[in-house]
Amino acid sequence: MSAFPWFGMDIGGTLVKLVYFEPKDITAEEEQEEVENLKSIRKYLTSNVAYGSTGIRDVHLELKDLTLCGRKGNLHFIRFPTQDMSAFIQMGRDKHFSSLHTTLCATGGGAYKFEPDFREMADLQLLKLDELDCLIKGVLYIDSVKFNGHSECYYFENPTDPVQCQKKPYNLENPYPLLLVNIGSGVSILAVYSKDNYKRVTGTSLGGGTFLGLCCLLTGCSTFEEALEMATRGESTTVDKLVRDIYGGDYERFGLPGWAVASSFGNMMCKEKRESICKEDLARATLVTITNNIGSITRMCALNENIDRVVFVGNFLRINTLSMKLLAYAMDYWSKGQLKALFLEHEGYFGSVGALLELLNPT
Amino acid sequence: MKIKDAKKPSFPWFGMDIGGTLVKLVYFEPIDISAEEEQEEVESLKSIRKYLTSNVAYGSTGIRDTHLELKNHTLLGRRGNLHFIRFPTHDLPTFIQMGHDKNFSTLHTVLCATGGGAYKFEQEFRTIGNLQLHKKDELDCLVKGLLYIDSPSFNGQAECYYYENAMEPEKCRKMPYNLEDPYPLLVVNIGSGVSILAVYSKDNYKRVSGTSLGGGTFLGLCSLLTGCDSFEEALEMASKGDSTRADKLVKDIYGGHYERFDLPGWAVASSFGNMIHKEKRDAVSKEDLARATLVTITNNIGWIAKMCAVSEKIDRVVFVGNFLRVNTLSMKLLSDALKYWSHGQQKALFLEHEGYFGAVGALLGLLDVD
Repeated sequence: MSAFPWFGMDIGGTLVKLVYFEPKDITAEEEQEEVENLKSIRKYLTSNVAYGSTGIRDVHLELKDLTLCGRKGNLHFIRFPTQDMSAFIQMGRDKHFSSLHTTLCATGGGAYKFEPDFREMADLQLLKLDELDCLIKGVLYIDSVKFNGHSECYYFENPTDPVQCQKKPYNLENPYPLLLVNIGSGVSILAVYSKDNYKRVTGTSLGGGTFLGLCCLLTGCSTFEEALEMATRGESTTVDKLVRDIYGGDYERFGLPGWAVASSFGNMMCKEKRESICKEDLARATLVTITNNIGSITRMCALNENIDRVVFVGNFLRINTLSMKLLAYAMDYWSKGQLKALFLEHEGYFGSVGALLELLNPT
Repeated sequence: MKIKDAKKPSFPWFGMDIGGTLVKLVYFEPIDISAEEEQEEVESLKSIRKYLTSNVAYGSTGIRDTHLELKNHTLLGRRGNLHFIRFPTHDLPTFIQMGHDKNFSTLHTVLCATGGGAYKFEQEFRTIGNLQLHKKDELDCLVKGLLYIDSPSFNGQAECYYYENAMEPEKCRKMPYNLEDPYPLLVVNIGSGVSILAVYSKDNYKRVSGTSLGGGTFLGLCSLLTGCDSFEEALEMASKGDSTRADKLVKDIYGGHYERFDLPGWAVASSFGNMIHKEKRDAVSKEDLARATLVTITNNIGWIAKMCAVSEKIDRVVFVGNFLRVNTLSMKLLSDALKYWSHGQQKALFLEHEGYFGAVGALLGLLDVD
């Protein structure tokens, strides 16, 4: 069995996701033998919800009373910007993490990019794991242990009806085949046929990073939360050129309703229209454009792969109900009810969970 | 086909495609007018012919693409020159007004029109210009026009071409392509928005897909990000910029290639992904942003086209539409992307008359009019 502390780390293009297992069944004997810096790490992580100026522990996602590898404890979910990686490594060095002789399982591109930094600055050896392997492992595990008794997986009923829209639990017991769409800085789309058999179908570079990057440029905002907030208050139909703007109504011949977007940002080539819209409209249009493009590409994949259930994960969807509902509606509408959009509560943490699992059950 | 005995539509012969951004007009200028015909010719018809053929610019925004003129062309048994004219859809009211002032409606000619604007502006044509539009579907016209123009060839040269060694500046060459045996063909029409069609025979095609991230998105975003005012300006800026300063590449995340899934370090992982960092926003130029917009929109279209080609099992993809006008950068990107991501299986093709096929198809629609 691996020595404590038990971590799983996913170093992505924008965010580092960290899962930490806090043991709650420590015997008196174990406590006595416990090394000082291990104790201090545990205390630091569990008694704070914020770390430094940018680290955050998502308390609402904590899995309580989890049994993992014969030990009982709480699973904590922590994130911070990849940009602050050196501060994190520095902290690992200051807390003498390397003296704990623990293996640090890491996935994501950063596990490769920062491997030398971990070694040189903190004398830590990373066990590098593939991000998509970890993603799938993590998804299947978290769904199986459930979310403190509740369902991990859910969908939206009546997604475009503000009054009737409801979040409903979904039973993912029989998950295969499944299309998994991971929306991080960029997007990866996987077809999962069984727990050991999946393939990366495709991806797109128009992802969460594009949404935030464009928003920052167009509106002057600086955070994801700010961008989302603006988007919720804006109107994209003044920015986009709709089918009805070109046809004067529906384009009936090919089933394109008048409200469908014909050309995203298409009205913005016109000076008077540029002057009549506000920043919130631009944020909304950016969100809608990126989200719908992902939806469209996903639909094509689902059709090609003959899969009718799509699970969307990744931190682009964190606190982003707007995009989730758009995806839910688009999948349903354009497939005439054939495709179902599903979501998971632990959104962007599955890669790091998969990395933790590899630590405990090496393959 | 025996045209002699068929009832020919009266002059002038126009085909019009009213798109989301541009109106494309093709005009057939007869050059085989007999002395008798000339004598009978109505004044307004003569003045229209003179106006169109002796100018290359109309008003402040209309342009005749003289380099695309099809000379000495035979259509419906008449010989003439086929002219290609464009102006912004924004200026359509001015055009309709002109039709009214020149008493176009007294010529009793049928005006064949396609594109969304044929529906949207139908009423205005009727009430202001007293003109009845003969509406045709834009994709029907596109396919018809495309198959028609390729056959007579372009003043003796190939209408269809491709790029060899697209991304190598010294070795890149434009090569003619023989489209004699066109089926099956994937047609990607990049206008304000994008439509993707699978064409199996001249009478059998289907709209496979589309995307709203098209030419209008490129120009709209560019205008917002750089303050530019025209398509030409946006392209000019893009040609001078470096998109890798705005985009987050695979190597920015992995420190190199993502080998497991064959993603090279130079591939874009997240378009505009570096723009989430203030220091990088401060360091990027307008030209870089224009380039990143072009690359993002172009590559997204290429990707979607590739996926459609795979699912339809078609390996020749022809890209048309005015997003590609004077836009060699996008054409080369599409060529390269398609070749790379399909491991050489798919070929990107282009046509000289780019965005005019709908209008040509509409002109051919004169044949169907009774």
